[in-house]
Amino acid sequence: MGSRLTVARREVAGLRAEKTILLAIAIQLFIAAFSSFLVVGLVSMYDPGALDGAEVEVAAAGDAVADLERAAAEVPGATVTRYEDAAAARNAFDRSAADAVAIATREDTGRISVAVTAPDATVETTVIVVQLRDLLRTYERIERVERAESLSRPPLPVPDSIGSSPYFTFTYTVLIPVLVFLPVFISGSLVVDSITEELDRGTLELLRVAPVTIGEIVDGKALAAVAIAPGQALLWLLLLELNGTPVANVPTILLLMTALTTLVVGVAAGIAAAAPDRRAAQFLYSVAVLVLFGGATAMAGGPTNAVARLAIDSADPATTLTVAVYAALGAVAYLGVRRLISANGIGQ
Amino acid sequence: MIRRATRRIARRSRRVVRVARWEASRATGGVDRRTLLAAVAFLAVAGGVFGAGAATGTVGLDVDRDVYRVGVDPASPYADAVEGEPALTAVPIEEATLGSTVDLVVREVRGGGSGPADVFVRAVDTPKGEAAAASFREAVDAHNERLMAAESNGTAAFPVVVTLRYVSRGSALDDGRTVGDASTAGAASDADGSDDAGAAVDDGGDDGIRGDGDDVDTGAGSGTDDGDGGSNSGGSVDGDAVDGERGDDGRWFLGGGGTGDLAIPSIGGGAFGASSTGSPGSITPPFPFASLVLAFAFLVPMNFLAQAYGSSVLEERTNRRGEPLLVTPLSPAEIVAGKTLPYVAVAVAVTALIALVVGGGPISVLAVLPIAATFLAATFVGAVFARSFKELTFVTVAVSVLLTSYAFVPAIFTNVTPVALISPLTLVVFDLQGEAISVGEFLFATGPTAIAAALLFGLGLGVYREEDLFTQKPVTRKFLDALAVRLSAVGEGVRESPATGVAARLPRRARGPAAVAFLTACTIPFVFVAELLAVAVLFALPITVSIPVLLVVIAFVEEVAKSVHLYAGFERGVFARTDRVAIAVGLASGLGFFLAEKATAVVQAVGLTELYVGRAAFGSVAGVAGLSPLLLAGLFLAPLALHGVTASLSAVGARRDRTRYVLALAAATLVHAAYNVGVVSLHG
Repeated sequence: MGSRLTVARREVAGLRAEKTILLAIAIQLFIAAFSSFLVVGLVSMYDPGALDGAEVEVAAAGDAVADLERAAAEVPGATVTRYEDAAAARNAFDRSAADAVAIATREDTGRISVAVTAPDATVETTVIVVQLRDLLRTYERIERVERAESLSRPPLPVPDSIGSSPYFTFTYTVLIPVLVFLPVFISGSLVVDSITEELDRGTLELLRVAPVTIGEIVDGKALAAVAIAPGQALLWLLLLELNGTPVANVPTILLLMTALTTLVVGVAAGIAAAAPDRRAAQFLYSVAVLVLFGGATAMAGGPTNAVARLAIDSADPATTLTVAVYAALGAVAYLGVRRLISANGIGQ
Repeated sequence: MIRRATRRIARRSRRVVRVARWEASRATGGVDRRTLLAAVAFLAVAGGVFGAGAATGTVGLDVDRDVYRVGVDPASPYADAVEGEPALTAVPIEEATLGSTVDLVVREVRGGGSGPADVFVRAVDTPKGEAAAASFREAVDAHNERLMAAESNGTAAFPVVVTLRYVSRGSALDDGRTVGDASTAGAASDADGSDDAGAAVDDGGDDGIRGDGDDVDTGAGSGTDDGDGGSNSGGSVDGDAVDGERGDDGRWFLGGGGTGDLAIPSIGGGAFGASSTGSPGSITPPFPFASLVLAFAFLVPMNFLAQAYGSSVLEERTNRRGEPLLVTPLSPAEIVAGKTLPYVAVAVAVTALIALVVGGGPISVLAVLPIAATFLAATFVGAVFARSFKELTFVTVAVSVLLTSYAFVPAIFTNVTPVALISPLTLVVFDLQGEAISVGEFLFATGPTAIAAALLFGLGLGVYREEDLFTQKPVTRKFLDALAVRLSAVGEGVRESPATGVAARLPRRARGPAAVAFLTACTIPFVFVAELLAVAVLFALPITVSIPVLLVVIAFVEEVAKSVHLYAGFERGVFARTDRVAIAVGLASGLGFFLAEKATAVVQAVGLTELYVGRAAFGSVAGVAGLSPLLLAGLFLAPLALHGVTASLSAVGARRDRTRYVLALAAATLVHAAYNVGVVSLHG
């Protein structure tokens, strides 16, 4: 054990001296900040409720305008003002007295056609169109209820709308999994670099004459790479906690990510030992991780989904089983790779 | 004279090409056949797994599967709605305890007719409960759309037909035609039977927006695209076929159109000025999503290219492998140009290929070129500075993340704000949308990036010499080295290196300050990029927060740009450590910054100042008319005084030690920010 710890300590010391781990955390911070910025920016564009008092004023005309007004009463954030005819409504739009024009006409077929005019190419266009869609969907719902006799299965009553931040689901299903899994990839990449660099610089020969076996060298390097991962994830989860996002089942999440790190580190070590040089090793590692992770995410109950459900506190026994399966998988993969390397050596 | 010059250029380019050929032959040998076979095997396994999963129905990219638990009676029609929504999982109502086993309980009120009369929903009093309730509401909406799509009576199921048009205020509108189209479109979507809205909402819905590409659902076939693409005779462009569509659940769809014309992507929901027709659920807010996805395709190869290039440069540096090359008559610039050339060529080839596939023109290729150059330049600097492959990996990742977001994020706001033009990728989006691009816009978008790439190469070349290439130094020290190389001695008792080139023609006393001023002027593109990035990031914040933060951030960026090389000069002994020298170089740096800043008045020409945040950043000259000439001159020269004073302040700190430098820098930033606040309030 002692020699393994020595190798691990040497690895961590190298990381500390180069301050690369700080750079890694800075990158993660940047990704987190930027994705949050993106989401908040997009949400404020698409969810006018998130903007303060965004009210869309619709100039309406046509013979079905009364129903449109009734629909508008149910939609917060949209008001309909009746005008005599289409020209008057259009005039109000041109004067900027209204944000949009809606001309509702009853057709002979029994349908109602609504001709909507929205302003061109401004930042408000999106907001206006989103509100208009809400208004028109409400209108559609009212009309459907009135025609329920003609329908074989009438639409179900829809519960009342309550305010909810769209950011909530994003945080748990995308942001937290991304932050938890980034350190996994970083650790794997570290192992690839660490092993191929020793090969490249010829320092692995020096290590071989020391009283350690090749398995112990791999153990030490893997130990260092696996050990730094949960700390980074924990840092993120704590930061989110401070930021007012409660994360449930933190120990289980850390267990899952450590298991995955072991799996990825094992794969990385195997690739680094088998590949002819660093470039090939990094290339193969990238492909392998993409395949592994993409495949695992695509499966029902993949690690991404498991982390999301654990974090949001909707875990069930199946989630716990997933964690156990990944832990077993990680251990088996690592031990298998270690055996392979011990038997075949590195870079031969 | 001219003949000698041409001969020299010919000789140099021959040398560069020779290095390039050598680099190309080496790089292609890097990934051998076995490696490629292994990669292909990985992918084949993945494909097999995916195929098997898809066949058995266990594959689904629903990261939000079952995140909310809903207690509902299995016999209730609402159970079907919950069933149809991946984010919700149904729990039988008798086992449901609010708060522990479920987040939401649904109880229906039986009516006299066939269906329920009303529904009651009780959620946990937490943000999770609210999100679950919102998700359930969407699930019911989606379920209703599915019910309606199955109805035989199309008029009752979809009683409202909407024709949406985008027009600018004050332009003529022919109502007759629109109404006419609406009825034909209605008939068409009636015959269709299935409606876009139903299909879009069908795939489920939480209310989050996913950031990553995995969620782009490209599977929507022609059947799901309704009146949007197929039935509009109302003058909507063909581009609708590929439109970025957003179900009201926050998920994005790429609707494969019935018309099957993939060539021209457009802004989602039809290009501005065009119209779309359909049921209310099919209305899509304008968003250049499809174009963005395609534009992103241009960025992906850059990351791989940068990685290969960085490895190649660092490989030269390990075990002094590059030393034989350095002792040849080749100059460092020739070596670097030769090593870079193959990668630039690959970048151009790949970009041209992608442009050909997605339907971009030469503009796309020209706009992506500066991005590729910046990727390579930043990687070059990283590879020259890095001590090990591990460090290089992190540097490459940092470069990729930074540049990708710098290029990509502003492009999202294409058509929304002129700030989007800070990214050359915006030009690609424009090009894909078939919009005209003015020369000014092109230069504005590509100029700073191209200059930044050139300067980064210059920075890295400064330390492309034996004593730096083959030694282990921290990145910060190498950075200071690279800056100090470009400086000339100022003050007594410091070592002087012989001047070359333009510097040799200057009087000896002027060389130092001139070099300082020139180096400061060179930082302008980076300052520009940093400030624009700050504007783009702070754009989403309310204006009361963004403006003060922006003023301080800008002041800090400018102060760092004006003083970091002065610190390098003092640390590397190029400048004598006296206050007189510090003030002299500080003033020189301030002057250089002032001159360069005035030269970038181009910004204003493009209309960036239209934007309020942009105005705060670049100081509009609007509103100065009517002031006396003396005051105008004062206003014009005030920045010069400011830059001189603050740079001298930082320099006085920098001549002592690092702590003093940081403190002085903070003080200079505050002074600068106070000045900025003054200017903004003056302009109102």
